[in-house]
Amino acid sequence: MSSTLFIALPLLFGFISPLFSKFGKNTTAIVSTTMQLFLFLLSLSLLVDAKPYVEVISINPPLGISFVLTKVSLFFVTLFTFLMLMFSLYYMSYRKTIPYKNETKFFILINMLLASAVGLVLSSDIFNIYVFFEIAGISAYILSAYKKTPSALEAGIKYLLTGAIASVFLVFAIALIYLNIGSLNLAVISLSFEELPHNVKILISILLLVGFGFKIEIFPLNFWVSDVYEGSSAHVNTLFSAIVVKAYLFVFFHILYLFLPSGEFSIFLIYLGAISMLVAEIVALKQTNLKRLFAYSSLGQIGLIFTAFAMQNQDGVQGALYIIFAHSIAKTIIFLSLTTIGKKYNTYDIEVLKKLNSNFLKVVMLIAMLSLLGIPLFAGFVGKFLTLKTLAVNGTFLAMGIILLASLLEAVYYFKLVGFMFVKNEVKEVLEINKTQKVIFASLAIILIIVGTFPFVVSNFLLDSANVLLDNHSFITMLMH
Amino acid sequence: MFEFFNQSEVIKIIIIVGSMSLFLVGLFGLLTQKHIIKTFISIAIMESSVFLLFIGLSYKQTFLAPILADGQQNFSQMNDPVPQAMILTAIVIGMAVLALGVSFTIEYYKLTSKTNIDEMTSLRN
Repeated sequence: MSSTLFIALPLLFGFISPLFSKFGKNTTAIVSTTMQLFLFLLSLSLLVDAKPYVEVISINPPLGISFVLTKVSLFFVTLFTFLMLMFSLYYMSYRKTIPYKNETKFFILINMLLASAVGLVLSSDIFNIYVFFEIAGISAYILSAYKKTPSALEAGIKYLLTGAIASVFLVFAIALIYLNIGSLNLAVISLSFEELPHNVKILISILLLVGFGFKIEIFPLNFWVSDVYEGSSAHVNTLFSAIVVKAYLFVFFHILYLFLPSGEFSIFLIYLGAISMLVAEIVALKQTNLKRLFAYSSLGQIGLIFTAFAMQNQDGVQGALYIIFAHSIAKTIIFLSLTTIGKKYNTYDIEVLKKLNSNFLKVVMLIAMLSLLGIPLFAGFVGKFLTLKTLAVNGTFLAMGIILLASLLEAVYYFKLVGFMFVKNEVKEVLEINKTQKVIFASLAIILIIVGTFPFVVSNFLLDSANVLLDNHSFITMLMH
Repeated sequence: MFEFFNQSEVIKIIIIVGSMSLFLVGLFGLLTQKHIIKTFISIAIMESSVFLLFIGLSYKQTFLAPILADGQQNFSQMNDPVPQAMILTAIVIGMAVLALGVSFTIEYYKLTSKTNIDEMTSLRN
C-alpha cells in the first residue's frame, strides 16, 4: 500500500497540523520536512528495484478507485518529493531571516500541493483526476495570493478565474465520456474511446484540450501565466514551475496516449507545442522583470516538452522525461536564487543582476541557465537533442526549425542575463548565503552536471519509463486483472 | 396537451437545448461582464449548465432510485447513481472555488477599492 502513503500522509498532515503549533514555533515546519524526507526515501527505495508496474491498487475494477504506480509515475513521484523536500529545506532556512509569522497554513498548502500532484500522477480514474486537478488548483490559487498584497491577490484572482473555466470544460468532457462509454476508469474508456462516433470523439478531445490546456500552459491558453508568476512570491513560483505544471502535463499525455493510441492529432499537437515555444521565447526577449522573464522561459520549455510528448513514440517520450527532469531542477535553482536575491535587494528588475555580488550564486544560476539552454555537458542537452533528433527522424522538419529558432532566441536573453551577472562594476554589497542554501543549490547544480555528463545514469530508467507510458495493453490488463 | 412534453425524447431535447443555452448565457457573461463577482457568477452558471446536462441525460423517467427496498430484489430498471454522486462532488468543489474567489475579491477590494477586471493592472500586460 506504499503508493497511497504519498497521498495520504501529506493530507493527514493538514488535519493534524494544528496540534503541532502547540509544541513550539518550528514544530510544524520540522514535522512537514521530516515527512517529505520520509516520502522521498520511500520513493527512492521503490526506485532501487523498480519493475514496470510497481504497485496496482484497484478496488473492485472497473467501478472502484484505482491507483497505479508504474515506473514512469514513480519517476514523477520521486522528482516531486525530492523537489518539495529541497523547497521545504530552503524555506526553513529562508524563514529564519524574516520576522516570525505563524505559517502552519503555508505548510498545509504545500503538502496539499504535493499530495494532489502525486494523486494526479497515480490515479487512473478520470473523476479522481478531476478531484486532484481541483485540489492542486485550489492550493495553488491560495499559495499565489498568499502574501495578500494587491498584486498577489490580483495574481490569485486571475489564476482562479482561468482555473475555474478550465474545470468547467473538464467536467463537460467527463460528463460526455460517461454518457457515451458508461465508465470512469481510464482502462475501460481506453478500450472503447476510438470506436466512438467521430463527432463525439472530436468534441471530447477539444473539451479535454481546453480543460487541460489552461493548466498545462499551452498557447493560446497561457495568457495568465506571466501575471501569476509576477504576482506570486518567487519561492512559490518554484512549485508552480517545477511540480504543478509537470503533474498536469503528465496526466494530459497519459490520458491522450490511452484514449488515442494511434496518434490521430499528433501533428497538430507537435506544431502547437513548437509554436507555443516560439511565441513564449519571442515575448520573453523584451521582459525586464526577472520573475516574468523566467515565467516565459518556463512556457517555452513547456512547449518543448509538449512537442516531445506529442510525437507519441519511445524516443520522444524519453526526451520529454529528460527535459522535465532538467527543467524542474534548473527552475528550482533559478526561482530559489531569485528569492534570495529579491530578499536582499527588494526588487526583481533585470538590472538587479548587475548589483549581484556572490560568486557562488552566479555560478549556480549560470549552470541552471546553461542547462535550460541545452548546452552539452548539462542535463538539458540530452533531452533537447533527443527531441530534435526524433523530430528529424519523423520528418517534421518545420517543427524542428521552429524549435531551433526558439532556442536561438532563448540563447539571446539568457546571454543577456549572464552578461548582466558578470558585468565589471565598482564595489558592490556582498550577498551572504547561509550554509543550508549553499548545500541545496550546490546539490541541485551537481545533479544537473552529473546527469548531463553521464546521461547513462538515468537513460535506461527513462527509456523503460517511456515504454511503460506508451504500453496501453499491459496498463489495461494490469488495471482490469 | 402536455403529454407531448412527457415523452423521453422530447425531455432529452429540452434538457440539451436548455442546458446549452444556459452554457451560452454563462459564456456571454464571462466575455462581456467586467465586474469580478459577475464573472464568477457567469462561471457558476456555466458550471451548473454542465451539471444539469449530465444529470438530465443520465436520468431515465421510468426507472427507480437505486435502492433495494419496497420489494425490489435486483438492480434492474434502476437509475445509475454514479452521475449523481459525481455531480454532488463537483458541486461542492465548484462551491469551494467560488467562495475562495469571492474572498480574494473582497480582500482585493479592501486594499485597492477596485472591482473591475480591466482596472487590475498592477501586473503589466
